[in-house]
Amino acid sequence: MGAVMWIEVLSRHGEVAARERIEGPEARVGRAFDNDVVVDDPHVAPHHLRIFRAEDGELVAEDLGTLNGLYPEHGAHRVQRLPLAKEPGIRIGRTTLRVHDAAHAVAAERLLTPPRAHAAWAAALGGALLAALLALQWLNLTAEPSANLILLPLLGFTTVVVLWSGLWALLSRVFFGQARFALQLRIALTACIVLVAWEQAAGALSFGLAWRGLDEYEALGAWGLLAATCYAHLQAIGPRHMRIALGVIAALIVAGATMQYAGKSEESRFLGQEATLGELRPPGFRLRALSSDDDFLKRTETVKREVDQSRLREPPSGALFSGLDSD
Amino acid sequence: MRRLLVLVAGSLAAGMSLSLAAASAPAPGTSPATAGARPGVPLSSTAERVFEMAKPRILQIRTLLQAAGRQTTLGSGFVVSSDGYALTNYHVVSRFALDPKTYRLEYLAPDGAKGPLSLLAIDVAHDLAVVKVDHASLPYFEIDPRALAGYLPKGERMYAMGNPLDLGFTIVEGTNNGLVDKSYDERIHFSGAINPGMSGGPVTGADGRIVGINVAKRVDGEQVGFLVPAKFAAELLARARKGPPLAVDKAREEVGRQLDAWQASFYDALRREGFREASFGPYRGLESAAPWMTCWAATNADQVPRPRAAINSTSCSSATSLFVSDRILTGRVDLSYSYYKSIDLNAFQFAHELSRRSTAGFGNQARRLTEQECRDDFVAMPGSHRPPLRATWCMRAYREFEGLYNVTVLALTQDRDREALLARLTMLGVSYANAVDTGRRFLEAIRWAR
Repeated sequence: MGAVMWIEVLSRHGEVAARERIEGPEARVGRAFDNDVVVDDPHVAPHHLRIFRAEDGELVAEDLGTLNGLYPEHGAHRVQRLPLAKEPGIRIGRTTLRVHDAAHAVAAERLLTPPRAHAAWAAALGGALLAALLALQWLNLTAEPSANLILLPLLGFTTVVVLWSGLWALLSRVFFGQARFALQLRIALTACIVLVAWEQAAGALSFGLAWRGLDEYEALGAWGLLAATCYAHLQAIGPRHMRIALGVIAALIVAGATMQYAGKSEESRFLGQEATLGELRPPGFRLRALSSDDDFLKRTETVKREVDQSRLREPPSGALFSGLDSD
Repeated sequence: MRRLLVLVAGSLAAGMSLSLAAASAPAPGTSPATAGARPGVPLSSTAERVFEMAKPRILQIRTLLQAAGRQTTLGSGFVVSSDGYALTNYHVVSRFALDPKTYRLEYLAPDGAKGPLSLLAIDVAHDLAVVKVDHASLPYFEIDPRALAGYLPKGERMYAMGNPLDLGFTIVEGTNNGLVDKSYDERIHFSGAINPGMSGGPVTGADGRIVGINVAKRVDGEQVGFLVPAKFAAELLARARKGPPLAVDKAREEVGRQLDAWQASFYDALRREGFREASFGPYRGLESAAPWMTCWAATNADQVPRPRAAINSTSCSSATSLFVSDRILTGRVDLSYSYYKSIDLNAFQFAHELSRRSTAGFGNQARRLTEQECRDDFVAMPGSHRPPLRATWCMRAYREFEGLYNVTVLALTQDRDREALLARLTMLGVSYANAVDTGRRFLEAIRWAR
């Protein structure tokens, strides 16, 4: 039979370290030099494994009676024989092998990103973002206009974005071999543009609908966006250990958001709050119909109910005075 | 406005102290008669006689921490009946009144005698309290009938006594300057040095009879002291004699009742005095006609660097202040209007400037109040001569006192994008009904000037 099989020996990081073409019905794997595939692993027997075709043509691995045995790549249970049609991975000693038939289907050709395409995108996005931030700075500038006042925050912002992207690029270089800074920068800039747009939209809606609660959703949205950004950065690095990384990121973000909320409510409890009109926009941003005085004052009854309830929830402590201040 | 706040802080926040209890003394009525100033006799000799007479009748009132047995605040007081009734300020005994498990009261007389005091009655509105010394047949002060009738000539010499800063019993000679103008509360303006520790101490005329009780001073002036007129003390004393004594554990409820009654009569008076229109640029707002609402104006026209929006504001305040505890000052109404006109700000910058300035604080009493809740809306009356408003209603409840709130109403005109009137109404210690009523007048009054 002229069937061909390929045996890949993987490195500790999961990349293919060696690939052997085997012609013939059977291949032998072990530490000894009379094998078809020689594996330098002290935990592998001199003659560890034989890979052959079963009667139906399927490839099967078989333990040749070794100390450390044969395992599926992701399995914990030792097996004597391992069919390889579905899961081509084998673990012997500390080495992982993959066995493929010549007919093994490979992924379709991926479109090559033209060189510098990410860089061009990053430049365009960066330019747009800086222009938007400059415009916003200008629209919120109520002090005497000065270049410092406008440019310094932008400089700080730029530094943070570059450092952030650089950090991801460094991670990518360490674990994947390629830095891909432009791609990471592009992701970070996209996230910033979405964040700015979200903040502006939430601010305008919060004013236009006279709905102050939106502020709280605004912060939640920002945390969600941070999560999505980290996901995109990770995806760009490579999909290995994605679940663990995603779990860590999700946990960090949930912890961050919770602490922010807890801190905010502590602060308002202990430092007091001022009554404000909230973040204002020009009158043209109003989206809501005008109410009458009566409607407005009627709605204050719900405010009264809320503070009455919070009064009952937290009754005064026995001691009215916390200090021993003598006058 | 700022000056009035200082008055509040300086006068009431400073815990005051002391007076003396008498153990033995001349019979009342006899020595006062001989104590009048005579021509040719130096004034100091009158003070000497008044103090000699007063000495067995004044007390230092100490609030002790139950557990440690040591003083936490000091004030003064004085005996007004032979069976041991004594008067002082409410703020001298407020810790004990609100938290009798943690604190107890004790008096110290000039002769060194000490003993427990019981609290019989309080009057939060006038800052008075009646306490009782456990003693029979004590010498005591009489209340000047002229003070009860309200006739005390300006310029009359008065003698304030107490134990300032725990330095020892002291007599201070000063001048009566009559009732304070433009004040909702009746207060005698006493030109003399009143210091912390003298709160609750007696103030007498040259004949040694009570005309007032030390209560407060202004810290932004010199020798500007305030006395509670003796007539309120007489009223409270009569009430204490008639009614059952204050139940120690019910004092908090009593304070709540008195605060509620105070705000009810205050807002009645505000309505009775009426309101008038006041113009601010092209807008109109509300101004109280009450003589005790004092108003101050401010502008940023002379600001350097040149302002980018012109601001002209008027703030009116009732300048009232009720001391409830070290952490609670309440019972005040503030009404302010700021007219903003952009000089070179565009519509967005102008809106941003307004958001930065649209705050109205309640002061830092966070723990005594619930968290703030606010409601925003756009308000207008269809077909009226009123500009549309962006309005906010913010509210906090007093944890200790049911039915009392701090309410702020903010309104910003929305008819132009580079010009606006920002109006603020702050009510401290108000019932919901009075807040809504006052808030409605406030909103309705914001109109276009014709």
